[in-house]
Amino acid sequence: MPRVRALCAEALDAAVASGATYADARAVVRRDQVVATRNGALASVRDVESEGVGVRVLVDGAWGFACDRRLSEEGAREAARRACAFARAAGARTDRRLEPVEAQSAEYRTPVSVDPFSIPVGTKAELCLRAEEAMRQPGVIVTSAAVRAFRELKALATTDGVEADQDRVECGGGIDAIASADGVVQARSYPAGFGGWSAQAGWEFIEELALEREAPKIGEQAVALTRAPVCPAGRTTVVLDSDQMVAQLHESVGHPIELDRIHGAEAAYAGTSFLSPADLNALQYGSELMSVTADATLKRGLGSFAVDDEGFPARRETIVEAGVLRSFLSSRELGGGGSMRADSWSRMPLVRMTNLSLEPGEGSFEELVDGVADGIYLQTNKSWSIDDKRLNFQFGTQLAWEIKGGKLGRLFRDATYTGITPEFWGSLDALAGPEEWVVIGATNCGKGQPGQLAHVSHGASPGRFRDVQVGT
Amino acid sequence: MTESLEAAERALAAAEGDEAEVVVHAEHSGLARFAASEIHQPTLIDNAIVRLRVVRDGRVGSATTNRLGDEGLRDLAVRAAEAADSAPKDSSFPGFAPSGALPDVEGFDEETAALAPEEQARLARAALDGAADFGLYGYVTSGVTELAVASTAGVRADQRSTDVSVLVLAADEGASGYAAATSWRVAGVDPAAVAAEAADKARRTRDPQPLEPGPYRAVLEAYAVAELLDYFAFDAFNGQGFLEERSYLAGRIGERVFDERISIADDPLDPRGLPRAIDFEGTPKQRVELVERGVARGVVWDRTTAARAGRESTGHAVQPEYQTYGAIPVSLSLAPGDATIEELCEAVGDGLYVTRLHYLGVVAPREGIITGMTRDGTFRVRDGKPAEPLPNLRFTVAVPEVLADVPALGRDLALVNRTDFYGERTPAAALVPALATARFTVTGVGSGPGL
Repeated sequence: MPRVRALCAEALDAAVASGATYADARAVVRRDQVVATRNGALASVRDVESEGVGVRVLVDGAWGFACDRRLSEEGAREAARRACAFARAAGARTDRRLEPVEAQSAEYRTPVSVDPFSIPVGTKAELCLRAEEAMRQPGVIVTSAAVRAFRELKALATTDGVEADQDRVECGGGIDAIASADGVVQARSYPAGFGGWSAQAGWEFIEELALEREAPKIGEQAVALTRAPVCPAGRTTVVLDSDQMVAQLHESVGHPIELDRIHGAEAAYAGTSFLSPADLNALQYGSELMSVTADATLKRGLGSFAVDDEGFPARRETIVEAGVLRSFLSSRELGGGGSMRADSWSRMPLVRMTNLSLEPGEGSFEELVDGVADGIYLQTNKSWSIDDKRLNFQFGTQLAWEIKGGKLGRLFRDATYTGITPEFWGSLDALAGPEEWVVIGATNCGKGQPGQLAHVSHGASPGRFRDVQVGT
Repeated sequence: MTESLEAAERALAAAEGDEAEVVVHAEHSGLARFAASEIHQPTLIDNAIVRLRVVRDGRVGSATTNRLGDEGLRDLAVRAAEAADSAPKDSSFPGFAPSGALPDVEGFDEETAALAPEEQARLARAALDGAADFGLYGYVTSGVTELAVASTAGVRADQRSTDVSVLVLAADEGASGYAAATSWRVAGVDPAAVAAEAADKARRTRDPQPLEPGPYRAVLEAYAVAELLDYFAFDAFNGQGFLEERSYLAGRIGERVFDERISIADDPLDPRGLPRAIDFEGTPKQRVELVERGVARGVVWDRTTAARAGRESTGHAVQPEYQTYGAIPVSLSLAPGDATIEELCEAVGDGLYVTRLHYLGVVAPREGIITGMTRDGTFRVRDGKPAEPLPNLRFTVAVPEVLADVPALGRDLALVNRTDFYGERTPAAALVPALATARFTVTGVGSGPGL
């Protein structure tokens, strides 16, 4: 890393020489590998190495950003000069001041037991193929499996004296089965759809997922869904599993609390927020059972680091305390900091979730269900949609189990539920305890133009909500 | 020869395998993003990516890098060879694309390619000066992209393309309007006019009136048509979705599926779109009829899905990172009708007018059921004319039902940008008119227009 850290210093010098009053430079070397199989054959091996330097500058109050794929002094200087030229051309109408940070030299390394890149592609493919084989049974028409490994070496330097070398490793994976019968086509996934779960960990995380062991049940459930009735519509009690709780948390809490959205920075694309700065310490976001934290130090969290991409140190913050809004995710420009992350060397940092978690309640999953005379247990996210202010949402899940008299009963398919954010969280009346709490990581959180995909984690346990609209 | 094809040939020469294929994808772009009428996130990107696939003893391996020097390409060759040697034998591998005659397409404009950051910022300021009474949010972006493919099967193909897009949301606390334009020629977009259109729309959205959920007739502007069609097409017109029964068209080829006014093609050759000559496997692009006068005709194929189906690739392999999703139509074209916007409203009579959609989710791909919100210009239509503004509406529709009863189809085509520039810059746009539908189901009501 000394070489790339020197490039960052070179970029900062060039930026200051070109008129920047502030600059940060990130030099990144990354490897991202996905091994995927489909229908009993190797579908793809994507093994991408990418490197480059990205430089963000403030010139006369205007931001500028440019990047260069050459990890060389020339590339670093050129990126800095171009960033300054673009900032000058853009011009500023508002005065920008950044919250100060203490100068420091930080290091970070993901604790890894088994380097995922030490596992041969063939071994990964064989694991996927075995899991696929275990899902296969009459009625299953498609099986697929994938595992991913990721490593990023990032050097950061800022003109206010922060230097950091960070070495992050991620692993993840999942399996999917699609079944068809009489024109009904249904999908089932483990541990989740859309690429499964990821964690900041080594190959040991893939082994813990036990894809092969879970596979037969996934195939069986996919077939069962094709014979299941459509989930009946109506207002009822719902219990969400951890996977769906995470989706709900991400969309209806994680994004609305991003302060850049609240100030309109994403208005044209991702949208704004129903929240305003005046809601701090005043808005009742949900019931008293609802406590949410943003924790960039969470073990295995995809959003864990030593410092963010503008040099602000990692911390754990309370976002919602017993239902009351206490804090936002923000940046140094917005008066706070700790949430600025870029998805690569070729993008500006944006306010992003780190590891946003719904703190656990108490009791078991069985106790949650035991308190339901008539309701639905919703399991594994299937679809999501929410309005630009993050108020009106609709989610779909792969599985829906009838709850009668405190017991799980029939399986339904094609379940959806809808609601309005604060009303929905206000209806939370039970939350399972720490023993049911899991950390779930996803790599597909979209935001920004040009678009960026953040890797974020969420901890959650299953929860119960009363009087929810199921179906339409 | 482009620099990308030159790099592809060097990578091919360095490859270690029985067969090999190299894809180079390069980007040189600028995006001036603005909020509250100020450029707040100006981004300049330069990158070039090389993917090498090799076949060694019946095993396929691949690796990708953005180090284009000789050392980087040698490392790439070693990584791809190691991946192949470690991989299981792949009897389903369809082989690399044969060499074929490339279509002669437009799509590159010197003036657009020459735009410097200062000029990209100037275009953004032209938009910002286009409407003084609202805060403006959006971007102006232009870029040059190169795609080159070289292989031991004899392919030597490349294309240099330009694209430019303007997107403007005009908004304040109680009003918002949207407009956008895209082209491969900078002369084909007028940032000030886009801003003026967005502001004009915004002015009419104040004081939204309540609406009861339920079934409505609706006018969908081209922006909404493009987004809905794009989400539907991802599974419905995708060869992989077709083979795996997620496509609405599976089992319905030759059947009447939509209103006879509806004809849909994927047409990468149309100079009114963003023309493309080759796909990401080096196969020449071609126009594919998907629906003709309401009758399902076909889907698009890449080499993998075509081999499974016993078909030929139609040139619809997407960039490598998305190839596991199958073959995707990225140049959708809905044939126009003959109605003006006023006539579309008349055809609806009593219903809704929808400018733009937000955050769509596919609820059930096989049935084409999609949910989402309207935003930035939703109105009631009464007595055949646009009437009072409405809040953002949640809709849940089966796209086949939306397109099954189309009382009128717009005459004016709009090229609607369909990319948000994630990952590698891969411009895509749909060429569509506005339309009137008799079936648009509102399932909920959200917040009002505005910030």
